Amino acid sequence: MNQIIDLFSHLFVQRMFIAGILASISCGVIGTLIVVKRVVFLSGGIAHTTFGGIGLAYYLQYTMNWMWLDPLIGALIFACLTAVIMSLPLVKSRLREDSTIGVLWVVGMALGVLFLNWVDRNEIIVQDPESILFGNILLIHFSDILLMGALVVVILAVTSYFFKDFQMLTFDEQYAKISGINVTVLNFILLLLVACTTVVLIKVVGVVLVIAMLTIPASISGLFTKELKHMMIYAVIIGFIINVIGLFLSLWYNQPPGPTIVLTLGLVFLSALIGKYIIEHIFCKNIKRSAK
Amino acid sequence: MGKDSTVAIDIQNLSAGYDKETIIEDVSIQIKENDFFGIIGPNGGGKSTLLKAILGLIPIQKGSIKIFNRLPEQGRKYVGYVAQYTEFDKNFPISVWDVVLMGRRSIRGYLPRYSSTDKQEAEQALKMVDLLDFKHRHINELSGGQRQRVFIARALAGHPRILLLDEPTASVDTDMRETIYRFLKEINKKITIVLVTHDIGVLSSYVNRVSCMNRYLFTHDDDRYISTEMIEKAYSCPVELIAHGVPHRVLVDHHQKKEKEKRS
Repeated sequence: MNQIIDLFSHLFVQRMFIAGILASISCGVIGTLIVVKRVVFLSGGIAHTTFGGIGLAYYLQYTMNWMWLDPLIGALIFACLTAVIMSLPLVKSRLREDSTIGVLWVVGMALGVLFLNWVDRNEIIVQDPESILFGNILLIHFSDILLMGALVVVILAVTSYFFKDFQMLTFDEQYAKISGINVTVLNFILLLLVACTTVVLIKVVGVVLVIAMLTIPASISGLFTKELKHMMIYAVIIGFIINVIGLFLSLWYNQPPGPTIVLTLGLVFLSALIGKYIIEHIFCKNIKRSAK
Repeated sequence: MGKDSTVAIDIQNLSAGYDKETIIEDVSIQIKENDFFGIIGPNGGGKSTLLKAILGLIPIQKGSIKIFNRLPEQGRKYVGYVAQYTEFDKNFPISVWDVVLMGRRSIRGYLPRYSSTDKQEAEQALKMVDLLDFKHRHINELSGGQRQRVFIARALAGHPRILLLDEPTASVDTDMRETIYRFLKEINKKITIVLVTHDIGVLSSYVNRVSCMNRYLFTHDDDRYISTEMIEKAYSCPVELIAHGVPHRVLVDHHQKKEKEKRS
């Protein structure tokens, strides 16, 4: 116990903890919408293009000496840009959505690799690409926390204002349209929120593993709830608990935090599935028995 | 019927479809307030397309649609819609109550919360379809017929003046079918109903006007009647009619509109 309290006296552990909370809130709320609307792959695309943005930010720091350009800002710009491209009427009507996602996904990644390659690492301190891709919650700065916090505030404000409309959009888009909701705009807003969420999550689990944080807590919570709002709340709580467990496991066994968190998420999801099956099985048997 | 009443839906020379493909062509029809209007026709004949055009979901290629003298986009706030099969994820976490409340969205606008009036109206609508006790159930814990009634309640919650139903009983057993039609007949005292169906028998007993849709809309001169010829034209093959209900309403001699005949 004392060991844990000691841990919390470290500044980096406190930051890690706050980052974990912020990540859990955003992934619980937006992840739920993504899961019920079945746009996980689209979100994955948005997440991966951010690698290009991070690369570009470092490149501009190097060539233009724009030291103020935080890589996370670069990631945010690229994520929002992807959301814009995906929402263009021309793209929507002329191209197959999943192909467009695939193209943006790999182009974003390739750009990131090239940009990072062009940076002279002796002049600019570049975050290790592995930690960009797979995250390193231990490397979080105070400025990162501020940006993440601001994004979480935006995500919560927009989602709570449009909650009822998001519910309609994700449940029955045609009826939403008939009811006077501008579904094109609302879909775009949702993509922008996904972009914000991605940026919040990058520092915690990294570009590649963002999908895990977006989908797994929401999927686990979806197994046990009947209402969208509850699904969001439980997803936040589940995400947070698993985050903390994963972090402690990674510190304990001295393993990289991102993958450890993701594997913990995966294990809990599997156990929840099996648990639910067992509960329903026994429960159904009981009902049949009582019916007799 | 008979008496002069306001025109609820006025369609003039309408052609509509998806992209460049025209699915319905040169449809003209006036549906009056408090009509119980039935549309029959073969699969792919454009019945659902006509409803979607009325709702403003697909672009009009030619002609015009007016709902109480307004364009579909403005007029559809008067319209409740029940889809043939509301496609949704059956694991979607949503209660019956939340689904019915959605019917209030067209009135509420972009406000973040439903008002107490919204809740009262939703409750009223659920009472009408006799599902108030199921309010807190998950939508997937209901039978097909109950679920369809929930979607009817959702449409009613917005106090529509016109109710469009696209084969509302497609996934419902026979008993429930009768219940739903009797219920529709009841609310028809206040609401104009446009019903798309395969169920020709039902048309004879509940509907007061009828037409056949197969790319063109075929109507009888006195469109209270269905004629064999009209149906054969629409289905392009002889159809055996088994009708019940009020006998004198069912099959009569008929005179097809000449210009329609030429075209088809």
